[in-house]
Amino acid sequence: MPGSFYSRLGSTVVAAALLAAAVHAADALTPVQLQKVRHDHYHELGDAFKSVRDLTKADSPDFAALIASAEVIDKASVNQGQWFPQGTGPEAGKTRALPEVWSKPDEFLAAQKMFSDRAPKLLEAAKAKDLPGVQAAFKELGGACKNCHDTFRSPEEH
Amino acid sequence: MPESPTPDSVRVRVWDLPIRLFHWLMVALVGVAWWTAETGRLDWHRYCGYALLGLVSFRIYWGFAGSSTARFAQFLKGPRVILQYIKGQRTGTPGHNPLGALSVVVLLALLLAQIVFGLFAVDVDGIESGPLSIYVSFDGGRFAAELHEELFDVLLWLIGLHVVAIAYYVLIRKEDLIGAMLHGKRSFPRLPQQPVRFASAARLLVGVVLAALVTWLVIRAG
Repeated sequence: MPGSFYSRLGSTVVAAALLAAAVHAADALTPVQLQKVRHDHYHELGDAFKSVRDLTKADSPDFAALIASAEVIDKASVNQGQWFPQGTGPEAGKTRALPEVWSKPDEFLAAQKMFSDRAPKLLEAAKAKDLPGVQAAFKELGGACKNCHDTFRSPEEH
Repeated sequence: MPESPTPDSVRVRVWDLPIRLFHWLMVALVGVAWWTAETGRLDWHRYCGYALLGLVSFRIYWGFAGSSTARFAQFLKGPRVILQYIKGQRTGTPGHNPLGALSVVVLLALLLAQIVFGLFAVDVDGIESGPLSIYVSFDGGRFAAELHEELFDVLLWLIGLHVVAIAYYVLIRKEDLIGAMLHGKRSFPRLPQQPVRFASAARLLVGVVLAALVTWLVIRAG
């Protein structure tokens, strides 16, 4: 039946168009916008690190605040792999992300894993109200940051 | 350029030991602070900053209570005297000349500002920070870090200008300013009208204790 054929074709076209639109919507951010998203994520992470550092200086820290910051860090350690879509390197605009992020994916993944392995320990120590544990976990985490930055982030410009 | 003592010239001690020690320790510490910052040795960078805070605190105290050549009231002059100095008129008082005095206070003030910015600074990762950064937000600390970086360039230019000025005095005017800052003595054609009055060891002790106290309080506040 021709009518049926055309109506099927029509709905197929509509479905394809909808799918393309959906894909396009998810992909709508430009590389520069994606860099900004990444930058904002790391800004939030830096803010959380500063909070932990400040809080651990107190004799009896605010553990609720510590847990909140440790959760931000823990979440970031799991999610950060998604902050580096293809095409958002130095070729797209100003960023300190080095091309090695994309050219050495296995090493980059290993560096991320070091972070995501260590971040839960900070959260656990914060939940256990274990201040020396928090301080030790924080120091370990700093090592994970440095480990990745040494290879995958360009030095600050002076 | 040592000037040979002739019957027409007298050697006078101008700079006391605290001023000379202050000067050269500051030179060394600014150098080490620069190097430790560039190479990411932030622990040592902080120690340099603390030591410089102590030094600058002492220098400010010495500018009010120290030997006559160290006192701000003695060497800070108004624009008229500075202009007269540039035109060639000498003051007859040993110590900083009216023009060099400007360089002294500007360098000292900027170094103090640089130290204060460093105390509040936070690095981009929120991991390294000055002790007083706990009193500001992450963004506030980042702003202090940016000022800390920008001001250092200004400081470097002024230090360069200072060195060029010293080179001019040493090479063109044949006045041994570097030797004077090392051994404290300078030659004058005749005895200066105003003798240098040196501060007592007790005053020095008070200054050292005060400077250490200021530094300790700042570190402890963090």
